[in-house]
Parts: sequence; C-alpha cells; structure tokens
Amino acid sequence: MINRRSLLSFAAVSLLPNMAFAADWSAVEAEAKGQEVYFNAWAGADNINAYIAWAGEQVKARFGVTLNHIKITDTAEVVKRVRDEVKAGKADGSVDLVWINGENFRVMKTEKLLFGPFAAALPNFAFVDTVGKPTTLQDFTETVDGLESPWGMAQFTFFGDGAKISSPPKSMIELAAFAKANPGRVTYPAPPDFHGTTFLKQALVEATSDRSIFAKPIDKEAFAAAAKPWLAFLDELRPSLWREGKQYPKSQAEITQMVADGELLIGLTFNPNEPANLVAAGTLPKTTIAWQHAAGTIGNSHFVAIPTNAKAKAGAQVVANFLLSAEAQARKNDLKIWGDPTVLDVTKLSGDDAKQFANLPAPGSVIFPAPAMLEPHGSFVPLIEAIWLDHYGKG
Amino acid sequence: MVGPLRQGVTGKVWRRAFGSPIIILFVLPLVVSLLFALGAAFDLSAWQLLWAHPQLWPALGLSIFTGLMSVLLSASLAIIIVAGLYLSGWWPRLSFPIGAMLAMPHVALAIGLSFLIMPSGFLARSVALFSGWTTPPNWITNHDPYGLSLIAALVLKETPFLMWILISILNRQDVRDNFNGQRAVGLSLGHTMTSIWQRLYLPQIVPKLVWPLFVVFAYAATVVDMALVIGPTQPPTLATLVWADINDSQVLNNARGAAGAWLLTVAIAIVALGVWGLANVIFSRREWLTVGPAPRALIKVFFFARLKFSSLISVYLIITVLLVILSFAALWPFPNLWPEILSISAWSRVGLDPSAFFTSGVLAVSTTVTAFALVIAWMETQPQMRDKYVTLLSATALGVPAIVLALGQYRAFLQLGLTGSTFGLFLAHLLPVTAYMFIVLVGPYRSFDSRWQASASGLLASFPRFFWAIKLPLLKAPLLAASAIGFAVSFGQYVPAQLISAGRYSTLPMEAVTLTSGTNRPLTAAFTLLLMVPPLLVFMAAAHFGKSRWSKL
Repeated sequence: MINRRSLLSFAAVSLLPNMAFAADWSAVEAEAKGQEVYFNAWAGADNINAYIAWAGEQVKARFGVTLNHIKITDTAEVVKRVRDEVKAGKADGSVDLVWINGENFRVMKTEKLLFGPFAAALPNFAFVDTVGKPTTLQDFTETVDGLESPWGMAQFTFFGDGAKISSPPKSMIELAAFAKANPGRVTYPAPPDFHGTTFLKQALVEATSDRSIFAKPIDKEAFAAAAKPWLAFLDELRPSLWREGKQYPKSQAEITQMVADGELLIGLTFNPNEPANLVAAGTLPKTTIAWQHAAGTIGNSHFVAIPTNAKAKAGAQVVANFLLSAEAQARKNDLKIWGDPTVLDVTKLSGDDAKQFANLPAPGSVIFPAPAMLEPHGSFVPLIEAIWLDHYGKG
Repeated sequence: MVGPLRQGVTGKVWRRAFGSPIIILFVLPLVVSLLFALGAAFDLSAWQLLWAHPQLWPALGLSIFTGLMSVLLSASLAIIIVAGLYLSGWWPRLSFPIGAMLAMPHVALAIGLSFLIMPSGFLARSVALFSGWTTPPNWITNHDPYGLSLIAALVLKETPFLMWILISILNRQDVRDNFNGQRAVGLSLGHTMTSIWQRLYLPQIVPKLVWPLFVVFAYAATVVDMALVIGPTQPPTLATLVWADINDSQVLNNARGAAGAWLLTVAIAIVALGVWGLANVIFSRREWLTVGPAPRALIKVFFFARLKFSSLISVYLIITVLLVILSFAALWPFPNLWPEILSISAWSRVGLDPSAFFTSGVLAVSTTVTAFALVIAWMETQPQMRDKYVTLLSATALGVPAIVLALGQYRAFLQLGLTGSTFGLFLAHLLPVTAYMFIVLVGPYRSFDSRWQASASGLLASFPRFFWAIKLPLLKAPLLAASAIGFAVSFGQYVPAQLISAGRYSTLPMEAVTLTSGTNRPLTAAFTLLLMVPPLLVFMAAAHFGKSRWSKL
C-alpha cells in the first residue's frame, strides 16, 4: 500500500525535475524566439483552423515564434513522412509539431520517432487534470511517458435534428432499430477514418461482455471470440444503412454536411460540443440535439507531439505550452469558437481564469452526459480495420 | 535546316550548352524517378500483402472498367462530333470552345459535377420542384459503386481532348488535301459522308489515335484526385487504394501500395495491348467496313453532332455557374433552387489566406516559362533525329501512371533532401509540363519551313534577329497554345504536389480535394473556381494573341 512517506518522497522526486526545468524553460523560450514551427494538424473543420490561426498570432506576438499550420487530412500521412525522413537521415524534418493520438501515437512511440519526454516539463502541464482525466496520461491505454502533451478532451457523441428525431437511440441496439425504421438515413465513415474506426470500436465495446480484453495489447484468440457478436450486430445494421451499407462516406465532416442537407438523420463527432458549435455557426438548425449512449461512449484525449527530427523543437515546446495555458484552453472550450473540452483541472486555476471556462447550455449541447469509456488498446485498431474491410469493403 | 548555331567548333559547345538543360531538369529527374519506382517493385513481402488485400481484385476491376469505359465513350463521342462537324460552318470556330474546356483542371470538373449530381445537388433540387421532395432522394450518384459518375466526369473531360487531337490531325495540310480528294471520289460514287467517314477517313485516322487513346486510358484507369472526389469508395478504384496505402502510417502498407501501383501499371499495359491486338484483327478484316450500304443508325448518330457538342459545352457552363452561386451560398437548404443567404465569407476567407493560389500561380508560370525555354533550346540546337528520345521519354512520363512516377520521385527526392523544398516542388511540376509541351511543340516546330531562314540569311539577318523577328512570330500560335497547356497541366497537378510538398506548401488542387470531404461547400466552390479560372484566362489570352494562326491550328 502507498503510505504517507512514500507519497511524500514521490512528490519530492516529481517536484525536483520541475524546479530544474523552470530554469531551463526560459532557455527554451530564448531558443524558440525567431523559430518557425510547422504544425501538422488535421484541417477538416473551419473553426479549428481559425483557432489555430489565432494561436499562431498569439505565439508570434508573445514569444516570437512563427506558427505555420500545415493542413492535413489524415495524421497517418505525417507518421509516414516523419518515418521516411528519419530513415533517409533528414535531420531538419518537415514536421515540428503534430496533432496526434491513439494508433498514430503508438506507432510513433514504438518506432522511436518522437522527441522527449518533454510534456511534464512544460510549465502549464502543472494544471492538467491527470487524475480526473486519466486519458491525459494513457493514450488508448498506451502510456504517454511525456512524449506528447495533452491538448483537448474528446467523447464520442451523436447528433441530429430534434424536429425529426423524437427519441434519440441511446445504444447501438437502439441505433440499429432506428436505422431499420429509417432506411438509408444512417451511416458511419469508412475506416481507417478515425471517426469510422471509433464507431466500430463503440459497437465492439457495446457488443462485448468481458471488456477487460481491451485494456491490454490485443490477444487475437480472445478477440476472435469477442468479434462474433460484434460482427453479427454490424451484419444486422448494414442493410438499413445509407446505400445499403455498400458505400460509406469518407469522413465525419461529409456526414455532417449530409445531416445538414437532410440526406442523413444522425451524425457523429468526437467533440461533444461540435453540434452546438455548428448550430451557432448556422450550419445546423436550432432544433439540433446531441446525445451519448446511456451506458457510456468512448472517450479519449488528443495531444500534440514533437518528432525526433523536428527542426524547431524549442519553438514546438513553446507552442505546446501555450496551447495548455488557461487562456488558450478557455478559448478552445468556448462553444462559439471551437467547443473542445479542456484538459485542465479548472479548480487548480485562479478564479478569473476558471470563470472563462463556463459554457452555458446552448442549442445542440449534450443534455445528459454519459460516462466516458476507455479506448481499446491501440493494437486493436489494425485488426478492427482489417476485419471490417474483409466483411464490408468489397461492395 | 542547318542553323548558324550548328556550325564550327563553337557551335558544338553551344549545342551542348543549350541541349543540356532539358537533360538535367527533365530527362535526369524522370529517369531517376522511374528507377526508384522500379526499385520499389522488388519487395516480395509487399506483393504477398497485396495478394491478401480483400479489396484488390474488385478494385482492379473497377480501375480497368472505368478506364475502358471512359476511353470508349469519349473516343466515340469525339469521333461522332468531329465527323458531324467536319467542314461545317462550326468547323473553323471549334478550337476556342474546345480549348476552353481543355483548360479546366480534371479535379475541378469532378467537384463541379458532383455538386450537380449528388442527392442534395442541383439536379435533385430541380426534380424536387416537380416531385415535392423535402429531403434529398436516396440517389446513388456521386461515389456510386460502379464508378459511373467517375466515368461521366472522365468522359466530359477527355472528349474535348480527343476532339482537339482529331482536329489537329484533320487540319494538317497533307491530310486535308488527301481527304478532299477522297471525298470527291466518294461523293461521285454515290456515297454519303457517313459512308466516307466509315470507309475512308476513320481507317486512316484511328491508327494515328493509338497513343492519345492509350494516354486517356492510362489516365482514366489511374486517376487519384477525381476518383477521391467522385469515384467509388468501398471498394474504391485500385489507384485510390494504392494512394491510401502510400500515405498510410504503417510501413508495410506503404510497400503494399508500391506493389499495387506496379500491378495497376502492368494490368493497364496488358489490357491496352489486348485491346490494340483485338482492334488490329477487326480492322484488318476490312470487308465489313467496305461492303454493303452504310448502316442507317450511323447517319442519325452523326446528325446530332451539333446538339451533342452544345450539350457538352452546356455541362461545363452549368457547372461553372453552379460553382459561382455555391461560392456565395452561406445557407442553401434542400430543396431550394436558390440560396437562402448569400455571403462573400468564402471569398474573404480565400482573400485572407491566398497562399495556395500564389503557390499554384508561381509554380505554373515558372514551370511553363522554364519548359518553354528547355524545349526551344533543344529544338534549336539538337538535330531532329534526336527528338525521338525526348519524345519517347515525354510519352513515357504521360503514359506511366502518375502514382508510379510520383512514388519514384518521392523516394528519389527524399534521398536527395528535396522533399518539402521549393526546388523539389518546382521539379515535380516541371516534369509533366515539359512532357506535354515537348509533345505538343515537336510537330509544329520541326515542320517550320526552312526557306524562311534561307531568305533571312540572304538578307544578312543574324540568327538571333531571324529567331525573334521571323521564327517566333510565325510559330506564335502553337507556342502560345503549348504554353497555355503547360500552364493548365501545372495548375492541375495533385499527386506529385501532395507527395513532394511534405505539407510545406499547399497548392490549389490539394486545397480543393481536402475541402471536398469537409463541411464548407462555399469555400470548396471558391477554391474550385480559383483552380479553373487562371488556366481559362491564360488559354483565352493565348487564343487572342495567337489569333492570326489560331484558326488553322
């Protein structure tokens, strides 16, 4: 058992490097001045792009760091590019900072493509809610080890027009029934789009009684058994999907657009506040409702990481630290700006800082938040995607 | 043609000096890229992974199907329209609308067409006017499983290209003289024009079309950007499958993608050879072409040529107008035919960050100017007999699937530290631009009448003076046309730009493809228009300033 003394000594040990880093941090800031940081970040949403542009203005004005948003459609491209560059011996890599989590993080960590550990040394990391939000330390149950710095919180959420949906389906079983009653009006993005993969994981977790298998690296035999009810569910769902489940949209954004058009009834997102944000932006009607499955939906954190061959490592750390500041996190949390939930423990902040985080319920907000379920270990992803492709990828 | 530059010892030095840039900037990068691409083909485990891919065979089938259908339909349509309009009142004025259609980048057309045919698109809204739909229908249009909408987009884009090739063949002086004689004979013997086309003209023209048809087939069967925008998704075409693999985070999948790219290349070559062989067998048995009366159906087909051509132009116009409206449509709920709220927000967003526009523009201008200089320097200093090597390499650059070439280029540039660099991106765009411009220019440039130069020498004009005052003005039309094509080709590059830019640079096709899977339709439309308009303006300028000879092109 943990006794008081060991707790104290643990605290002392963990404090020591922090103090040492405090002196180092001004050195990092000094080095960062004048650096150009190429931030490779998924750019599928305008509001996020606008937020990153704002962050760029701020770090330029405050720290003399130029932030270039490299707009990408899939973080996998970045993983591949960094690996290729490292292999080719390119020391001044094209990526300084990457928006990442889950499977891509696991691959980069395993292949030693990441710089660090650096996260714990960021001054603003002290305010991260690592206790209440354990996914800031466990990314898809892979330990973070300071190789990436938390940026935001995510939880799988569904949305639709409340004028057309009287009682939203609160489980995968109910969703299948809803799809049957409304053929062709429900779908999910084809994996390996991460929203599509998450939909499959959500279905897998809901269909599996013994969920302990998901906390460890994949055991293919145990998974073979778990996969049966999951596949049975997907088989049942398929014929009532959009285009009878023979074709799937490419991305979550495409589905959102089709929901806005009325072509689909239910959309999905990883950001519980996205529907409210889209209502505020005028993309979705004011009657929009958002919900999570009653027994819980998959939740995780998303991070920023620095590749091992990054050119502007100091600048990248300064940006990562700024993204963790109360000001940047509060702005990100604002429904009208982005609505991405914070990774900070708001109670650790000063009163004025904490106040900025209050979001009043708005049209499109999730009214009854459900518990967040842990992501299956990242090693499940390749097999989930392969099985799906084998069953549903052939038209 | 013996130019003053080719006389004496200094002439030799000059020749080397002017012949070498095309070797350094075009031939060398091309050969190195091909070698690196070839190197990627010898990975046994990658092939094993590829065979095990559950989507491999349906995806390959889709690629071949879309490629064959596109080439078959666009060739038929092009021949029917050209035959129907041949020597008609429209004939001298055809090159302008055809050139304008050619100037539209492929991916822009695909985006525009998908806005037209998607279940919430303009077509469905027009139907809803009568049917009373309030929600978009369950239409399976864009991203349909058989690739039909992809085929439609390809046919719309390739028909003008093949018409342009056909017209330039038919307008050649020797062909024109021959055909005039044959027509006189045919008409005297009581044949209709349809019959003359079928029995006399086509058997002579089709052999000249073999390479353009192959290029169209290879392009259609391997296109990535259009297929991403409008093509089938599950399974996708093999090219998009390969593209996803090449960009995947798993190193094994990267290798599988390279193997897939080669499989696609080999499959295309085999199918093309098969079709070519079959066509040879059919055309060698001429009896069915020459015996008996002309089938009546053909007459009707030819009769509607004007209507068909007008419809083709109309689709381009409708798409353009639709994109303009969309770019201002802040809110346009189904089934309204007109947006509820108009706003300039998409355009002001473009104005706030015009970097992609500038990157594309600078690349297009610099590569066109460079390719122009490379090609002219080559033609002026190298004997004509060496042209065949560059022609062959250019044809290879256009015939080898872009994914294969870009893959090799990416691997080579990675080793040389050129990925993510301005120069690397420039080279990647220069390659297809030079290839197109060389192929387009080699004919007109080499057939330049050498007597002009003899006269100039007789008048004691120096070579530079003759070159600037006589030769360039006389070759103005083909030079300007080739430059317009070069510009459009550079503007439309997606695959090499995406791989070589390493995210450091963003070009318009990259922005447009990314935006099509997002939620901002006005912005997508605005970027698509940005992608369309500059090549069109450049083409119109070329048509205007090359006017004196343009109509004879």
